[in-house]
Amino acid sequence: MVKVISEAEYGQVQECPLAVLDFSATWCGPCKMIAPILEKLSEEMKGKVGFFKTDVDASPGLAARFGIQNIPTLVILKNGEEAGREMGFKPEPLLRSILEGYLN
Amino acid sequence: MKRYDIAIIGTGPAGLEAALTAQARNRSLLLIGPDGLSPKISKADSIRNYLGLPDVSGPAMRAAFLEHLESAGIRITGGQVKNIYAMGDYFAVQTGGIDSMYEAETLILATGLPLSKGLPGEDRFLGRGVSYCATCDAALYRGKKTAVIGYTPKEEGEADFLSELADEVLYFPQYSGDVRTAPAVKVIREKPVEIAGEKSARILKTDGGEYETDGIFILRETIAPDKLMPGLELEGNHVKVGPRMETNIPGCFAAGDITGPPYQYIKAAGQGNVAALSAAAFLAAKQKQ
Repeated sequence: MVKVISEAEYGQVQECPLAVLDFSATWCGPCKMIAPILEKLSEEMKGKVGFFKTDVDASPGLAARFGIQNIPTLVILKNGEEAGREMGFKPEPLLRSILEGYLN
Repeated sequence: MKRYDIAIIGTGPAGLEAALTAQARNRSLLLIGPDGLSPKISKADSIRNYLGLPDVSGPAMRAAFLEHLESAGIRITGGQVKNIYAMGDYFAVQTGGIDSMYEAETLILATGLPLSKGLPGEDRFLGRGVSYCATCDAALYRGKKTAVIGYTPKEEGEADFLSELADEVLYFPQYSGDVRTAPAVKVIREKPVEIAGEKSARILKTDGGEYETDGIFILRETIAPDKLMPGLELEGNHVKVGPRMETNIPGCFAAGDITGPPYQYIKAAGQGNVAALSAAAFLAAKQKQ
């Protein structure tokens, strides 16, 4: 499951050894298309990667803190520290291999 | 939402022949592109090696193509494709905002010769202050300073749309003739030469000056294939295809100039034919499963 969080709940992301935080918005096409892929990967990687999602319009502070200028942006965090980011839509096999790269 | 069997992007010879073949195969098809056909066709001086049309001019070839489409009852859905999403078992094609989406089981890319090179800094800052779609990303620039580089007059509408949200819109038309934009849009007739910044695009350099900005929209007639469809494998600037016109993404095929030289009308049409037959075969195999 991808957990939708508000700015105040950001602590949950930092508690994960490995987390993916998806910055998205309701009006964004690629965000809508990547959502089911993230949902699927979150099931596959259950227990290994925490998946979170936040709306840039609802969490402007969080978006500003990460300097988000394009959505979707996926920020990958290891123990609360940014380890990388991916911008824009990615097909499922590509996104899976990218995220698996962070697991090893 | 209706899911088409085959979505064909592009209305040059490759796309049109793919549409005729798909139709002959009894497949539902969506043909998207400039509805008066690819503007490149009318611009051709004369074509001497197209079978059955000896020494034909561009405009005459265009007329022959349109007539053929009409007799086959094929309709073109006008519009420019901004994004294509490979969703695994289908493709989603976006032509504007979030509501302008189409779905298809297979896809044929026939958008013509890809752009050889963008502006210096364009690739580096794409997604970090550089965008190819104002209607898609305008909401991120609410109250901010933006620059729009428009390569055709139809981008004036995008600049107008952006000016409703952004604090400032500078419009750099890269074509001659009149520019009709909303009063809030400031028109600057200069040629962009570079995009600069540190973490994100902040400065647009032109042959006449430098402009500070929060976001730069580059609106061309064609978008590089791998930007249009993330995950698509290229060979140089072209889409990499196999002998059945298949790309690295299952269900996605490509035809015409987008696949590389030679840039010939007859080759484009032939590849369009192969691509449509391959798409039909892919659908048949999928339905058997």
